[in-house]
Amino acid sequence: MSDTQHLRPLGQPRPVDVRTDESGEPVYVRLPGKPARRVAVVREAWRIDDEWWRRPISRDYRAVVLDDGRPVTLYHDLLNGRWYAQKGD
Amino acid sequence: MSETRSDAHGVPTHPGYGWVQENASGQPWSLSGPTRFSPSSSQVTASGSRLALCLWLPTFELRLELMRSPELGTTSVALLSPGESTRRTIWQVSERAWEGGVRPGQLVSQAVSLCPSLTLLEPDPAHYDATTDALLEVLAELTPVLEPAGRGRVFLGMDGLGRLYGSSHRQAERALDSLFRVFPAPLVASTRAGMAPGKFGAWVAAASAPPGEPVVVSEESLPGFLSTRPVGSLPVDPLVVQRLGRLGIATLGELRRFPEPSLVAQFGEEGRSALAWSTGRRIDPVRPWHRPRPIRVSLDFPTPVGLAETLHGALDRLVERALSRPARRGRSVTAVRLGAHLEGGGSWFVETVLREPTAERDRISFTLRSKMALTPPPKAVETLFLEFTRFGAPSIQSSLFDRKEEAGRSEAGRDLARGEVPFSLKDAVRELKLRLGYSPLYRVVEVDPWSRIPERRHALLSFDP
Repeated sequence: MSDTQHLRPLGQPRPVDVRTDESGEPVYVRLPGKPARRVAVVREAWRIDDEWWRRPISRDYRAVVLDDGRPVTLYHDLLNGRWYAQKGD
Repeated sequence: MSETRSDAHGVPTHPGYGWVQENASGQPWSLSGPTRFSPSSSQVTASGSRLALCLWLPTFELRLELMRSPELGTTSVALLSPGESTRRTIWQVSERAWEGGVRPGQLVSQAVSLCPSLTLLEPDPAHYDATTDALLEVLAELTPVLEPAGRGRVFLGMDGLGRLYGSSHRQAERALDSLFRVFPAPLVASTRAGMAPGKFGAWVAAASAPPGEPVVVSEESLPGFLSTRPVGSLPVDPLVVQRLGRLGIATLGELRRFPEPSLVAQFGEEGRSALAWSTGRRIDPVRPWHRPRPIRVSLDFPTPVGLAETLHGALDRLVERALSRPARRGRSVTAVRLGAHLEGGGSWFVETVLREPTAERDRISFTLRSKMALTPPPKAVETLFLEFTRFGAPSIQSSLFDRKEEAGRSEAGRDLARGEVPFSLKDAVRELKLRLGYSPLYRVVEVDPWSRIPERRHALLSFDP
């Protein structure tokens, strides 16, 4: 008589298209199903390197504001080279 | 002190107080609670099965681990003793490790210094228990009278099965054959089987049997069979066995020569029991084992969790769910077991018997939290599970002026904040489930609120009170 529940994590990252400048900073962001937007300002940047003992995580985060005023948190996954948007920063 | 080794798989049993003085858990079997068969009256009893078959797989747990990781079969392997402690000790060892000087009970540091290539394995009690359950289920098809005596050892009552399965030897072989449904062939080949009147005789027969070849002892030959066995096989306090050894009494036959009053004078009631066993007068029947079907609920974490607060929160949710199961309703809970599958393999669990039967979440949670604080999981938890294993009488204690049902929304909200699900919400969920077939509501729970990784902080848990 067993009953297993699974927790569904909130704030899962979603892949996004990001165009960067020469220094690797995001310039244009296209969120899923939306037109590309220019990055108006990068408000904050931080990096996370964690869980090297499990499945390593290495992310370069950017909290940006798009030119339509929308705040977005992006990160560059330094292990697979892709960009993601994430809620709950 | 002699050392017993099994031949298949090269897994030695441990040195003990005598040639059969060990059980699958590596403890002197006369000391370990669950493996000691219940001392009943010294006379033949009418209930239970007089003819007993003992199936015994020494170092059961280590063998299961080696079956899971066959590549370790030819290496030095040791299984760590269960439980969290800064001074972990060795529980069971493989033949290679044994040859390297590693012994059960040694500290890990000692063992590694003796055998630097030693592979240490974390015990996985959940896996061992699941295998034991599967084993009992298979054997229950053979006979309804089953009495487990710790992991890896079980007594089967064989009275009246002759017409079904043939001679005693055939019955024992049939029992061994049925193990193929649970164990792979090498494990079945390592299992020892002994059949005799009473559990003691069956156990001694199994311990003296070569692996895979049953030893059957008849009623008439039991006293003669027992007379050559060492006193170490007696299920009495090891100190009694030690004292018998110092007195120069090595076998049960030598013990028999002493009059009962002198043995009682020396060893008390244990002396009387020892004599009754050694002569074959005392026959302990196999008694059917009854275990109520437990209520089990579990929770899978998206990523392994090591935070105590998160585990406490998950524990609360599990207790709520288990209490709300229809099988629990009308009964209070008297014994609970909390366990976990750990990151990287292995499992952990704590068990407790509640001081008073209860059906209150907080009481059950509090007791388990205290247990967790004493012996926390040694690694991050992948799945947490909870089992209600024993139940008591109903414990519905409602206040005379209980107005919860009539209370308004604000009262219901306060209930929810306190961890109780208000009746109005329960009704709403029930209606939605009727309409949709599932509960579309979720509860946001904290998983690791201070994690640097955002997706680790919160999660959704299906809300189905």
